[in-house]
Amino acid sequence: MSQTITIDPVTRLEGHGKITIQLNGQGEVQDAHFHVTQVRGFERFAQGRPFYEMPSLMARICGICPVSHLLASARACEAIMSVRIPYTAAQLRRMLNLAQMVQSHALSFFYLASPDLLLGMESDPKVRNIFGVVAAKPQLGRAGVALRRFGQHIIELLGSKRIHTGWVVPGGVTEPLSAAKRDEILGMIPEAYDNIGLALDAYKQIASSFKPEIEVFANFPSLFMGLINEDESVSFTVGTLRLIDAKGNIVEDGILASRFTEVIGEAVEPYSYTKFAYYKPLGYPQGSYRVGPLARLNIAKSMGTPMADKELAEFKQLADGPVLSSFYYHHARLVEILYGIEKIERMLNDPLILDKHVRAIAGVNRLEGAGQAEAPRGTLNHHYKVDDNGLITWANLVIATGQNNNAMNKGVLQAARHYVKDGKFTEGVLNRVEAVIRTFDPCLSCSSHAFGQMPLVLSLLSPDGEVLDRVVR
Amino acid sequence: MTLTTARCLILACGNTLRSDDGIGPWLAEWAEDRFRSEAGLRVLARQQWTPELAEEIARAESVLFIDCSVESTPGSVRIIEVQLAVPTPGLATHHLGAPELLALARELYDSLPRKALLLTVGAGSIELGEEFSEPVLDAIPQACSLLERTILQSLCGQD
Repeated sequence: MSQTITIDPVTRLEGHGKITIQLNGQGEVQDAHFHVTQVRGFERFAQGRPFYEMPSLMARICGICPVSHLLASARACEAIMSVRIPYTAAQLRRMLNLAQMVQSHALSFFYLASPDLLLGMESDPKVRNIFGVVAAKPQLGRAGVALRRFGQHIIELLGSKRIHTGWVVPGGVTEPLSAAKRDEILGMIPEAYDNIGLALDAYKQIASSFKPEIEVFANFPSLFMGLINEDESVSFTVGTLRLIDAKGNIVEDGILASRFTEVIGEAVEPYSYTKFAYYKPLGYPQGSYRVGPLARLNIAKSMGTPMADKELAEFKQLADGPVLSSFYYHHARLVEILYGIEKIERMLNDPLILDKHVRAIAGVNRLEGAGQAEAPRGTLNHHYKVDDNGLITWANLVIATGQNNNAMNKGVLQAARHYVKDGKFTEGVLNRVEAVIRTFDPCLSCSSHAFGQMPLVLSLLSPDGEVLDRVVR
Repeated sequence: MTLTTARCLILACGNTLRSDDGIGPWLAEWAEDRFRSEAGLRVLARQQWTPELAEEIARAESVLFIDCSVESTPGSVRIIEVQLAVPTPGLATHHLGAPELLALARELYDSLPRKALLLTVGAGSIELGEEFSEPVLDAIPQACSLLERTILQSLCGQD
């Protein structure tokens, strides 16, 4: 007799999703799926809008990483305008994206993941939350809150709003940076270094105790993709995409946004509203790949800043070749936070950062354009077509979570097969299956707002739908 | 980032695109305008209350939370003292209520405002829209009056 376990919704994620685990008659895991249960439709309702509205419209996709959508969209619009934005505008946008990366990674690590990491996967679910972390490690709790505020405050200073800033526009940014704001950000840097140093030390102390999870948390060979600079250092805002295989060999390089759809295809599955991206030459699902912090660190030869480079060298010692276990997304996030702080400091110390020329003006010069950027959780590609009046006739967005979708599903199956024995599950097992998804920090539907608490229900069902067992928290 | 100590911190919550849910930010804006020259007042309006606000709360002498209430009679205006929350399983990390924020402020910074109050206005509608329902429109004078009185008491230390 086969049975199904459902985890609905999965907690501590950006958005709503559920997991089903299908058991066979012997109580062994036969299959598992991660479902994204919300439909969005941004590509559809953008049609008919003027292209210059797209950045601020597309930023509404997400409340956590609106800046990356803003940037990918602005770059697609600039391809339509055929303009190159001023140097200072490019630097300010880079800073904005890094600030967002810092605050988003801080949210993921400290608020969502650290209850598992610091208190344990089997710890009492009543205290396995940020209150529990604060009670057990108050200094680390304060560091997490401060790092998130650091990123948010930079976004607020640059864009005048913490979320959904309209500061980034096709052609550049609307206002230059003032000396007073530069100095305020520079004043926050020392504390940010202290806080990320604390987090890295704490993570390294506990990581070795998670060897069983490292083995089965989406730990398999795959392709990895991310933006990279010409000098092979990590990039979040400019550069081209590189795709490597599980041994570190370069599979594709120099992928411009305009070539993205030549290289990357999208498949659909009946159990999820999120698409499944794949590398076209290998087909689906063999061409599935991973994006985000783990992929970026696997691809890059350097971070381009001294302290982060030291951390990258240590990270690369974790494996002979690319690091394959998705558990290490957590580690990679912390390295990227350090990089973000260093890079922001370096950019602020460049006198040109206060230059007043921050916007290029142009109209429609091409009827099609694409742009890409790295969101905290991975690569974004925005691709638009317009008519002669600049009205959008077609849009396609490839988001990070879609590109990690296959890996997340494989990861859930891998963990479920390891932990679910004889059709039995405990709260700790349930939490580990969810925690696999949390390593990717997927963004399912961030612009939706929940009212009240989200319950988590795991049900064990017989083939005729009878509830055999149920866990609620 | 240097946080200053507010004698009275206003923390409003709500989405201005969801009809009466926007009453919190509206009242916050009204208070900011009314007490424009008052250095001891700090006003923050957010779509959601998030954990980062705990430090602001810990540093404030008094805090007044403002929100709409879907559980109250539409248009009813209430002010209550906020009690510290007891953490529960599945505690959200993207948005917290006033009791949870107070508890977090104490846990993180070992400090609490002398007084913490929650002012609510009963919502008649939280559907998409930028206009308030009739009951909430009618309640605005009473809400403003209560808000003004509460802020003045906080600024004068008359809690």
